[in-house]
Parts: sequence; C-alpha cells; structure tokens
Amino acid sequence: MSDPATNDGAKPEAEELVEIEEILQHLEDISFVAHRDTKEALPAIRPFGATVARRWIETARDLFFHDRESGKSFMRHSARLAEHMQTVELWLEQAARFQEWVNSNYALEGFMAQADRVYAAWGEAGEREWAEIGLRWCARSLPDARAYFETDFEKLSGGRGIEGLRALIEPAETLFDERGLTLDAYLEGAPIARNLVGDAGLLSWARRGADLLKAGRSRGEAYFRLESDESLKLLLEALPGFRPRMNGRFLRLVLMAWLDADIPLADSSWKPGEGRPMLETDGRRLFMPAVMDSREEAIVATQHAAAHLAFDTYAQPDVERLFERAGAEHPPLDDKSRITWRPLFAQFEARMFSFQVLFDLAEDLRVNARLAPRIPNFLSRLVELARAHERPEGAAGIYYDFALRAHEALLRGEPQDPRLARMLEPDADIVTAWSVGEELFADDAFPEITIEERAEAYLPGLSLNQSLPVYPQRKRDGSLADFRDHEAHDEHKLEHQKQEEQPQQAPEQAQKDPDADIQTPQQETSGTGGRIGTGIPQPAQVAKRAAPYTPKKDGIPYPEWDYREQRYISEWVNLYERVFDDEDPERAATILSENADTLKRLTRGLEMQRPMRLAPQRKQLDGDELDTEAVIDYIADKKAGLSPKAFIYRRRAVQHRDTSVLMLADMSTSIMARHPGGQGKIVDRVREGMMLFAEAIEKVGDPYAIAGFASKQRDQVNYYWLKDFNEDLNDTVRGRIAGVSGRLASRMGAGIRHSLEAFRRNSSQRRLLLILSDGRPADYDDGGDQRYLHEDTRMAMKEAVDAGIHPFCITLDPSGSEYLPAIFGPGHYTIIDHVDELPRRLPEIYLRLRQ
Amino acid sequence: MKNLINRIRGVERDVIEKPGDAGDAPFYKPQGDEIEIFQAAYSKRLPVMLKGPTGCGKTRFLEHVAHTIGQPLVTVSCHEDLTSSDLVGRFLLEGEETVWQDGPLTRSVKEGAICYLDEIVEARTDTTVVIHPLTDHRRQLPLDKKSQIIDAHEDFMLVISYNPGYQTVLKDLKPSTKQRFVGIHFDYPAEDVEREIVAKESGGLDADRVEKLVAAGRKARALKDHGLEEATSTRALAYAGELMQAGLSPRVACRAAMIAPITDDPELIQALEEIFDAHFPESQAA
Repeated sequence: MSDPATNDGAKPEAEELVEIEEILQHLEDISFVAHRDTKEALPAIRPFGATVARRWIETARDLFFHDRESGKSFMRHSARLAEHMQTVELWLEQAARFQEWVNSNYALEGFMAQADRVYAAWGEAGEREWAEIGLRWCARSLPDARAYFETDFEKLSGGRGIEGLRALIEPAETLFDERGLTLDAYLEGAPIARNLVGDAGLLSWARRGADLLKAGRSRGEAYFRLESDESLKLLLEALPGFRPRMNGRFLRLVLMAWLDADIPLADSSWKPGEGRPMLETDGRRLFMPAVMDSREEAIVATQHAAAHLAFDTYAQPDVERLFERAGAEHPPLDDKSRITWRPLFAQFEARMFSFQVLFDLAEDLRVNARLAPRIPNFLSRLVELARAHERPEGAAGIYYDFALRAHEALLRGEPQDPRLARMLEPDADIVTAWSVGEELFADDAFPEITIEERAEAYLPGLSLNQSLPVYPQRKRDGSLADFRDHEAHDEHKLEHQKQEEQPQQAPEQAQKDPDADIQTPQQETSGTGGRIGTGIPQPAQVAKRAAPYTPKKDGIPYPEWDYREQRYISEWVNLYERVFDDEDPERAATILSENADTLKRLTRGLEMQRPMRLAPQRKQLDGDELDTEAVIDYIADKKAGLSPKAFIYRRRAVQHRDTSVLMLADMSTSIMARHPGGQGKIVDRVREGMMLFAEAIEKVGDPYAIAGFASKQRDQVNYYWLKDFNEDLNDTVRGRIAGVSGRLASRMGAGIRHSLEAFRRNSSQRRLLLILSDGRPADYDDGGDQRYLHEDTRMAMKEAVDAGIHPFCITLDPSGSEYLPAIFGPGHYTIIDHVDELPRRLPEIYLRLRQ
Repeated sequence: MKNLINRIRGVERDVIEKPGDAGDAPFYKPQGDEIEIFQAAYSKRLPVMLKGPTGCGKTRFLEHVAHTIGQPLVTVSCHEDLTSSDLVGRFLLEGEETVWQDGPLTRSVKEGAICYLDEIVEARTDTTVVIHPLTDHRRQLPLDKKSQIIDAHEDFMLVISYNPGYQTVLKDLKPSTKQRFVGIHFDYPAEDVEREIVAKESGGLDADRVEKLVAAGRKARALKDHGLEEATSTRALAYAGELMQAGLSPRVACRAAMIAPITDDPELIQALEEIFDAHFPESQAA
C-alpha cells in the first residue's frame, strides 16, 4: 500500500504499533465487544502497514466513543472491506466523517455493508461519488441518509452505473430544498417510477408526490409506495401506447358496428411492470389493460375477444364436453357460478404452459376464421401487426411463428398445417381445439416454455383464453345481438358497494399481489381450480371477482392543467356537486330590509332593461305583415318624388337579448376574515352582494344561477348550488345566500370547469360566467406553488372562452392586478377596493356586461 | 326579356308544371306496396303522410309517382321560420297599390297539383292549422287576409313527410293533425334493393365496390342511436358511389359523403372510419 498516509503524522513503525496496542488496551477496559471485534478485524488491516492500522484503530475507537453502534458496525465490516477493496484509506476516511452527526449509526451500517460492492462495480471514483451523495444526505437528514445507504446501490442506479444514481437522486435533492421531500419516502417508488417515466419525468412525478406528502403524510407515502391510485395513474399516463380506457367508447362502437354487440368494457388488474398487457374476459365484460401497444392491437384484441364470446369458446354445453374430454369432472364453479379452469390443465403439470399456448392457438384460429368474413380487414390487420411485432426469442418464437404461419395461410386461403386444418371445419368447436392442442403438444418441435415465455408466444391482440373464471354462456353461433350486460351491471354495482364497506386492505398485500382479491398464500401451481398459471395460484373457490384498478369515481372527474409539464392531467380533480343546506332565512330578511333603498334604486334602472321578448321587428325588407307606418312613410316619400327603399314589413320574429349568467362565488375560508376597517366580516358584504344580484336579475328576467365552490385538495372540490337555473328565487334560495360561509380552499379551475358543464344545459346565446373571488386560487396540495393553480385557472378560462362563454372576475383582493391580467386577460376582471361597495357594484357590473 | 330568355333556356320554370312527356320518371325502386297505396289514396284524393328516416327515398318516391300519374308536384321544404303566409300568400306592394300574391299552397289548391310539404313539423304551428280544412271532406283553403275561401281543384292532393324520432319531443305533430292522413311507412331498402339503387344512382359503379359500399353502410347504420342522430342513408351511399365514380378513392369518398356530414363526434368518426376502412383496404384505395 503505496498510499502514504504520512500527512497524518506518520510515525516510526514501532511507535505506531505501540499506539495500536495502547488503544486496544483502552478498548478492553471499556467494552468487551469492542475489544473483541477490533482484535478480530485487525489482522485484515495490518497488511496495509502500521500507520494505516493505527489510523484505522483510532477511527474505530473514535466512532465507538461517538456512538457505540457506529463503532461496532465499523469494526464488523472492516475486515471484509479491506479484503475486497484492497485499500483502507478510502473507506476509512469516509466512515470517519459519520462522526459529524449524532445517531448516524444506521447510515454508517448501510455504508459499511455496501461499500465494497459499490467499489467492485463502479471503481474508486464511483464509490467516492456514491459515498459523497450519501454524506450530503447525512447533512440534510439522517433518516434519509439511512434510507439511501440501506437501499441496494444497483437498485438506485437502475443498472446504469453512477449516471443512473445521479439521475435518481437529483430530483430528490431539488425537492428536498423546494418542498422538504424526504428521501426515504422517495426511494420507495422512485426506482420503479423511473423505469416507467424515464429520468426526465421523474422530477414532475416526485414533485406531485412531494405536494401530497406536504398535505398529508400517509397519503404522500402511499403515493411513493405506488399504492395510491394517483401515483399509479400518473405512471400509466406516462407509458407510451394506446389507452383502451380513454377510447372505451370507440372500441364499444366498433363492436357494436361489426357484431351488433354491446359488450361492456372494464379495466383489468394489469399494472405496469407485470409483463405483456393482455385483454381478458369473464364472459360478461372485456377487461382491458390500461395501456396496449397500439390502437391497431387494441382493435384486434377487442374484436378477437368478442369473437370468443360470439363463437362459443365459453358455451356451457361445449365447456362441459371439454371437461369430460379432458378427463376432469364437470367444470368446477366458484361461488358466482363461474367456470374455473385449473382442473383442465392439471394433468399437464409442469408442461401446462406449453399445452395452453397450443390449445389457445387452435381455438384462436377457429374463432378468427369465423370472424374474418364478418370483418373484412380483421385477418390482414392481425397478420400485419404480428409481422411488425418483434419476434420473441427462444422457445416462444417457435410458437409465435407457428401461429403467424397459420393466420397467414388463413388470410391467403392456403392449405393449413393438416393438424390445424380441422379447426376450420364447420363443426369444429372448443373440444376440437383441445384434441388439436393435444396432437400438437405431442410434437417435439414445440419445446417447453416458462410462464414468462408463454406471454410472449401469443400474437399481438390474442391472449390467454382461460385466465379468468368465466360465466358460462349459452350457444350463440355467432350472434351477440342479445348480449346483455344488465345483470353484470347490477352485480357490479352491488359489489362496488360491498367493497366500499370492507375495511381497507393491508398495504403490503395490495402491493405485492397482482390479483388482490385472492387472499391465499402462495401454493403449488398444480392445485385445483382458479385462474391458471399467472404465477400467483388460486384456490378452487374464489372469494370474489378480481377487482380491477379503479380510481375513485364517486365524484365528477375533471382534468387539470400542469404548466410544469405543459399538459392536462386527466381526471385529476374530483368534484362533488352539493345542494347548499346552510340556510339562514332570518338573515335573508335582514339583508333585504337593510338594503331596501339600494334595491329600489336598482329596480327602477332595471325596468328599462327588461328584454322585450315579443317585440316585432319593424321596417323590414320582408316580413309577415305590412308595417302601416312604414308604408305611409314610403308612399309619402314616393309621392314626394323620392325613391325610397321598400322597408315596409313587420316581422314577428322574437328579438331578445338572450343572456344567461352564472355567478360563481369563491367560498374559501378567507372570506370569513374581518372587514378591513369596517364592521363585521367580508362574508357579510358577499352575502349582500349576491342577494342584490339575485333580486336585480330577477327583475331583468334573465336566466341565472348562483353557485359556490370550496376545495380540500384535488380529490374533494365541493360545488354548492345556491340557485340553479331552473330554480325560482324563493325564500329557500334567499336563505341559502344568506347562509353562505367560508370553508376550505379555492381550487378555481375545477369550479369553472363544472360551471361550463352547467352552462351546457342552457341554450342562451350569450352566456356569462361571473366569478366572485377574494384572492388567488390556492389549495392545500399545491405545494406552495402559486403558479400551478394560476395556470390551471387560466386554462379553465380558455376552455370557457372556447365554449362560447364570457368569463369575468370580480375580486375583493386589492393585489388582484398582480395576477388577474395573466389569468383572465385585461378587461376581463374588476377589482373592488372597498368591500362596502360590493353589494351595490355587483348588480351594476352585471348590467354593464350584458349590454 | 330576361325572363323570356331564361324560360326558353329552361332554367326557370313555373312551380306548377305538369311533368312533360320528355324523359322517364325519376328512378325509384319500390321496396314494398307503397306505390299501390299511394295510387289508391290518389284515386280518392286522400291526403298522404310519408314517414321514414332521412334519405331513404321519400321525396324521390313522390317525384316518381307524380310523374307516373302525370300530375304537377309542388314541393315546399318546411323550415322553422316558415309561416302560414309563406304557404298561403301575402299582400305585396306593386307600384301604387297592394297586390295579393298566392303562395305555393294556394296555387296548388287552385290549379290542381300535388302539394308536398316536406318535414312539416319543422314549420311553425300556425301552418298546420291552415292545412286542416284541406285534409277533410271540405277540401277548402281559407284565406283570412282576403276573407276568401278557395275550394280545392279536383286534382289537388296534399302530401306531407314526417320523420318520427328525428324531431325532438317538442316538435311532434298534433295527433289531431296526424289522424287526417293516410300513412305510408318507408325505411332503408333491403340490401339487394339498396345495391341496385346505389349502382343506378352512382351511374354504373362496378358491382364489387357497390357491394362493399352497401355492406359498409349497413354496418354503419348499427351505430344509430349510439351518438349518431342520423343513420347512414341510402342517399349518402349514392353520393359516395357518385364520388367514387368521379374518381375519388373509396376511403375519401366515404369520408366525404358519409362521415363528415353526419357527425363531429371524434369517437364516432373513428368508429365509422374503422368500418369503411375495413371494407376498402389501403391497397385498393390507392
């Protein structure tokens, strides 16, 4: 060890040795364990020279005095590190630095446990950087540093060396400073998330989590463990490919057009990282994975799955014969009377995967051949897809080629492999497929395959036919016209309720078990019943149906604009529409009597504005009747030698200023603040303003509505109807207006979007959205980033304009001019400086706008 | 002078003109017994109501039978601003005085034509009141503004078309109006009939493309009521055929004639394209 440790006061060797002995002696006096461990490790250090050994034992002692556990960790791992790394100084210095912090023992233990492997993998420079990053975290927070050192470095790097590590940790460092994101939470899911969204998407994924973490610890942690629907959803969105769920209606329309079948689609339980996404069916619905490779594949897959239903793959009599043929008893049913498939394949034991592929291959060929005449481009599309798809390597490729050849032959009308030819005969059915499968199975050309290879062996769009338990079908012979989903729907609803009643599942289980409903331990795959060969075996009795990943659906979902990513996040906000029930009729009466004068003045002005709905249009070029006055003028002009134009008709067409208005009030906590420089609270003036507004518009006769909104994080935005368009202004409504109070935060974008929906029911020519606010849009989970909800509100505004609605904002926030021009655009907002003016100004503003 | 020239050129003709001997009757392929029913109703001058979806051949049918029985046909397409004075007539100013001008209905009543009120429910309700006295034994047209009653010419006949389901609930005919008519029900023709029609209308499109076109159109009809308010009509198929005949590729023709006009719903457009593209694969489209 050429490395001269001289700068640390190297002394003659004899002296060093003496010192080592002294320290050993000292340790012996203090701790038996420390002395023993040091003595055990020392022989491995000594070959690096007396100076190194002396420094090592000093460090061990110091660490031990600093924190016993730290010292023990250091001693325990030293011998191994020295042996594996063939150097001591490097890690010695690094370990010594842990003394800077109290309670750094766990982090040190993690460091000592991994340092040699990092060194072996990435060399000295890599090891230095790895340690340096960790030490920086020690300075930030020890639990985070512990999480860092305890997590396997290969996992952190994602197999991409130090580059991968840097890319993973950088977002966390940024967010620690920005949002106080803790590394231990982050590391739970970041390595997996990185595989899906890439380095570039990691920061925005984590930022969102950090915001949630700030808003609520357990929820944020669930996000990072990839357990909550929100994180999963974001990851799914980042995946490339075609999203059947977003295109569900399209796929259903396709089935309807081709097969006259209205088959419900549902989400399957497939999650990213679980192998190839495939479409499954339980005989009532098609379960679509969240993402498929392409639109073409999704179309082929839905058509193919529908063909299985139409051409009797699951017809009860056939399935019964199939079980008989396979030598099994009649098909075992689960508690929902669904057929479970396992006994069918039990006889093949370890080789069942291979048989399954061949059996499915034969059956797929049969139904595809029957579907082809119905859908002219089905086969050509399937073959094209299969050719474009990468041929799987190894054993699966043999099956893949065989299936592809069979379909190509079918497409071109060429002769089939004689064994498969039987599948094309008119009387072939699922039992024939079984026999053909057996025959192919006996052929040595088809090697054994593993469960992973099995998934690869299928052509794109085709999938395991016997994966889920299936409701037996009646014989359909190609007609799906009577396919009903009512039953399934009812049952689904019932189940949904039941699920809600059940206590929440233990998180670990939800995480690891791809099929979360089957609550049994792992067992031999050759058992009986259940879904077969997915790796997680099933019992013969399934407690309940696989619950696919379903996001919270009880509210009305709205998208939200994320300016950081410059895209909409679909269904991000959950909005609940509620009728406001805090009525206060007494206060309503007080407000009205106190403002009687203002109201009278307003009323007089308003009478002039009443729309004349049946006013005839006079002096028209054509119309229903002559306009006598115009005729007289016309004739008089003519007699006078002029040549007037013949504008002499009267028209009864209705001419009205057809305006409807929705006032949307921000009902966040801030309106409960005290009136600055006046009596009472701001909310008092808001109530008065809304009351006068309602009374005034009532006089004008325009259709109008009043609503309020308040939010508590993204999944709970409440939208309160104070008065709907079709409600009359009665005492209940007045009571509601008088009962308005502030609550929670203001996620304005969602409120606006929901208002647009309400306007959609209204057919007025001019539609005005009047927003009454007292401050910036903000919410608990915006991570303190004001711009986020600003930008979202701006986008919501744009949506309103696109929908032909005129938005206008009235704010009580004196600093409104700082941000309102950016959100609403110049001229689309007004600031009311004196809260007292609000009641009077509100109706005025409306009248000005509607002109 | 200009009027005369136009008349000689044949650009302009009077609304009430008997079908000339020149030329055959417009092409119409009967789907059932509609021609017999109509002729029976005509022989008794009973008012007739033609029911059926848009573009299934109601108007063509009427042109055809009017031509075969040799009666002039006056067609009024009703719209929501159509008032009774548009039908009956109004006073106009001409020089120094007001002059009464007969509307198309009055002229038909006077001169004995078949008056066809297309999509009558679209018109304002006052128009339906005007036709009531014409549809029963009285066969009279009251002209309130002139304080006159006109007895219908013996050859006069009233025909209305009515498209159930297409209108909203708000715009249905009153039962008292409906029950005055003889109803003839139309629907999209059977596949072989439709093929014949499309082949004929498109001016000789080859049998292969006609067959695919009709098959695709019938598939597309399955999407009616799933967002599609109007199903792909026989007329639209004929248009698509004509466009193909004019040299457009089948996919483009289908899109132009059968998708673009009927929907703006992106998912429906995709689904319809899916159907047409399947029948007309890319290679053929090129």
